[in-house]
Amino acid sequence: MAIRVNPGYIEVLDKFGAEDVQMCYQCGDCSTVCAHADDIFKFPRKSMRQLQMGLEEKLETSLEPWLCYYCGQCSEQCPREADPGETMMSLRRWLISRYDITGIANQFFNSRTREILTVLLIAVLTGIYLTFYGISGGSIHVYDGEGAFLPSSFIHTFDLTVGGIMFLFLWLGALRMWYFSMVKGMSIPVPWWLYFKKLYEIPFQFITQKRYAECENNGNSKLYMPWLVHFGLASGYSIMIILIMVFVEPLQAGPEIVWPLHIFGYLATIGLLIGCIYFVRQRIVKTKHVQYKKTHSTDWMFVILLIIITVSGIVQHILHRTGYLEAANITYVIHLMAVVPWLLRMPFSKWSHLIYRPMAMYFAEIQREAVVRQQKLVDPLSITIK
Amino acid sequence: MEKKKDKIGVYICNCGTNIAKVVDAEAVARYAATLPNVHLAKTYKYMCSNPGQEMIAEDIKENDLDRVVVAACSPNMHERTFRSALRMAGLNQYMLEMANIREQCSWVHKDRKAATKKAMALVSGAVQRVLKHEALESMSVDMNPSVLVIGGGIAGMTAALELADAGNFVHLVEKDDHLGGNIARVDLTAPYYYSAVDLLSERMTRTFEHKNIQVYLNSKLTELSGFVGNFAAKIQKQNGLSEDEAKAKEVAIGNVAICTGYKEFDASRVTHYGYGKLPNVITSFELENMLKSGKVETKEGKIPKYVAIVHCVGSRNKEFHTYCSRVCCMTALKYAHEIKSANPECYVSDVYIDMNAFGKGHEDFYRQSSKAKTLFLMYDKENRPVIHKAGPKDDCEMLIEVHERLSGEHIEIPADLVVLMVGMEARDDSHEIAHLTNISQDKDGWFIESHPKLEPVATTTDGVFIAGTCVAPKDIPDTVAQARAAAARILARISKGKIEIDAVFAEVNEDVCSGCRICNVMCPYSAIEFDEEKKKSHVISALCKACGVCVAACPSGAIKGRHFTDQQILAQIEGIFSKVEYSEPAEVS
Repeated sequence: MAIRVNPGYIEVLDKFGAEDVQMCYQCGDCSTVCAHADDIFKFPRKSMRQLQMGLEEKLETSLEPWLCYYCGQCSEQCPREADPGETMMSLRRWLISRYDITGIANQFFNSRTREILTVLLIAVLTGIYLTFYGISGGSIHVYDGEGAFLPSSFIHTFDLTVGGIMFLFLWLGALRMWYFSMVKGMSIPVPWWLYFKKLYEIPFQFITQKRYAECENNGNSKLYMPWLVHFGLASGYSIMIILIMVFVEPLQAGPEIVWPLHIFGYLATIGLLIGCIYFVRQRIVKTKHVQYKKTHSTDWMFVILLIIITVSGIVQHILHRTGYLEAANITYVIHLMAVVPWLLRMPFSKWSHLIYRPMAMYFAEIQREAVVRQQKLVDPLSITIK
Repeated sequence: MEKKKDKIGVYICNCGTNIAKVVDAEAVARYAATLPNVHLAKTYKYMCSNPGQEMIAEDIKENDLDRVVVAACSPNMHERTFRSALRMAGLNQYMLEMANIREQCSWVHKDRKAATKKAMALVSGAVQRVLKHEALESMSVDMNPSVLVIGGGIAGMTAALELADAGNFVHLVEKDDHLGGNIARVDLTAPYYYSAVDLLSERMTRTFEHKNIQVYLNSKLTELSGFVGNFAAKIQKQNGLSEDEAKAKEVAIGNVAICTGYKEFDASRVTHYGYGKLPNVITSFELENMLKSGKVETKEGKIPKYVAIVHCVGSRNKEFHTYCSRVCCMTALKYAHEIKSANPECYVSDVYIDMNAFGKGHEDFYRQSSKAKTLFLMYDKENRPVIHKAGPKDDCEMLIEVHERLSGEHIEIPADLVVLMVGMEARDDSHEIAHLTNISQDKDGWFIESHPKLEPVATTTDGVFIAGTCVAPKDIPDTVAQARAAAARILARISKGKIEIDAVFAEVNEDVCSGCRICNVMCPYSAIEFDEEKKKSHVISALCKACGVCVAACPSGAIKGRHFTDQQILAQIEGIFSKVEYSEPAEVS
């Protein structure tokens, strides 16, 4: 059965950032230079082609975009300025909108105005809710304990609720990814036990981001900066989420500093700060790294919120410990006004890759072994995998 | 008086190491020196070099040599060079014989001993033959400065204007009722969007008004006789109305330029494209008409949402033509641009085999097309797309089914309008022209140039030149360049005033000729006339290429090939079969 080509689909992806994919003439230089492309996952070339031809279903069921970490070598090599790296990035954005059942991601990626308005609305609603809660049950002059403006036990419940909503949508997305890639997109049988055999991939890839480190570095430096920065940012990010979801009560209480816990908080804050500075600097200075040349509006939203969160968090912490309790309470409200939209935005933005990427690698490894098994069954000599 | 003994100089060329690495040149020279009449035998690194030629010339003068053998490369390569060396020394240039010990010896053999013996035998043959050589004189004939140009397209007009501007009279014969040829059917040209009308109109006006150009519309060449410098051509007006017009006009000319162009491939021959059956499958020329009128639309008058352009229709496959038509790729890109800029909502798919963007500015043009979001889809040349009507639920008129090579997918492409890029074909009547002017055609019907690289506009018939797309598919710049080249070649001959004719040709001994006329039909160059009065055949020396067919065919032995006489050939054979000895010298350390 012939697949229908859709010459217009390229316009849809244009909004997600794939502005140059039409330039590609399929020389394959990108796949040659890529550290991760192989005989089974032939990207970026294959993904570029499927996008040019508008093969929507093929793209939807493909995991290839998640196997790319955007080292930018393909875009540097490309003889036609088709920017394969950015195309893969755009496909990840598009896939996020595909995994998302609510349609919110699609709205955010397609309209900067809608995204800003939504974020502002959530921030304002959060501010109003927290202010009313604070006034009704406590005093602006009390930071913690009896009559506190925002008691730590309440914040804990509040965090868990917001976090729960975020995780619900993330895992729903991951479930859709599984359905697309492993059910809809698979033409060969996948033995059930492979899911167990490859399960280690999820925590392994999540923690180490080993594949990102494997992206070649032009031989300039042994220390691969983008990986290191990303590692710092991701670690800070994860530690922070664990801290606010589990340990927010002892952290917030004060006035003493609980070093075994706070040390993690400080480290994570440093990681986030460095990450933010690096992110902004790379995008403003536009250094040699191709991956920073283009920035989608949704990327800026993430970093702006993160800066507000980090700075307000630091300020609030200092104010609290130095005894300016009223100011600390107000700063806390501002801090949370940024935290809530930031957390809720997660499943609908690029940062859902936190979950999607390790999941995709897990599914990809299952697919790889399934394909190899199938090849062995059909023709033992036809195994082409490296 | 007894003839003085002939003195032969033999020169063995090393050709760098080309000859010397396989053939022991010194041994050949030593052997040659032992042959009767050989006065001296020498070797040299490059005999064709200036010092080599000077050495031969000086030897001739100093030693009073009267015949020369050069054992070197093929005479095709350097016979002219050594003939001029003989002339320099005041010797008749036909007293030279070349032994080909490179192409026919050192390049094709590995065994040094056998190769050296073969070289000796070839030299022996050449020595025997040169003894029988006769001094011959070249002839010269007057050059008529008038020129016949066949075809009134861009090539014909360009050549005619070039010749006429230089002061020569041109008879321009055009089959159609107007000038302009195929370009007159085109709207804009690729890749710079020059208007085709602009390219033509100035030329057309000048051609019609030029005092040195006589244009014959609706006319054909019906007969060409004579030879270079002195042709007689008959020009016949087609469906002439008056009695005067019906009579063929005879003109005297010195040279002919053939610029008859091409015809487009008949798209209905490719059955699975549905041309002629599906109303919205059109050819590139039909699209040109739409573009000229400023409206690209379907037969139903709708603006197409999807346009598909199919490349290589009739070109580059075994079934029709294996060659590339060279202009269609850029023309297709031009269409993509024009369609897209006229209607930005429209999606253009470009279904191609390879993108041949070889010319100046072409690669940039291709890049621009990609930028304008043309969807390029690659098909296999032996696995053509199939075009069929779409179903009632589809949002398009037609679907093109094809195996897409770059994705490896079997796909269907939506299309409301399909444009077939029809290739170029030799004209149906090109064999008539070839027959009348005595030139050759290749398997596809294109006229054959006398050398594909070094003589691109000359033919094997002296005085007949070819230019433009009657030679092979090419674009406008190449066509114009060829037309100007042909004109330049003709002008060079006209300015010389006379034309030298090689003294090597066939001669009929009329006393022996029985008038059987066998040679008349055998001659591939139509160089033999029959004298009805004398009942004897006669060779027109200016047309004769000295191929020797008539000499071999003549049952009475009445025809002699000058410089290839029976005696000369027999002497050469005898020489080759003489006994040669060679033992390899012991290695000297």
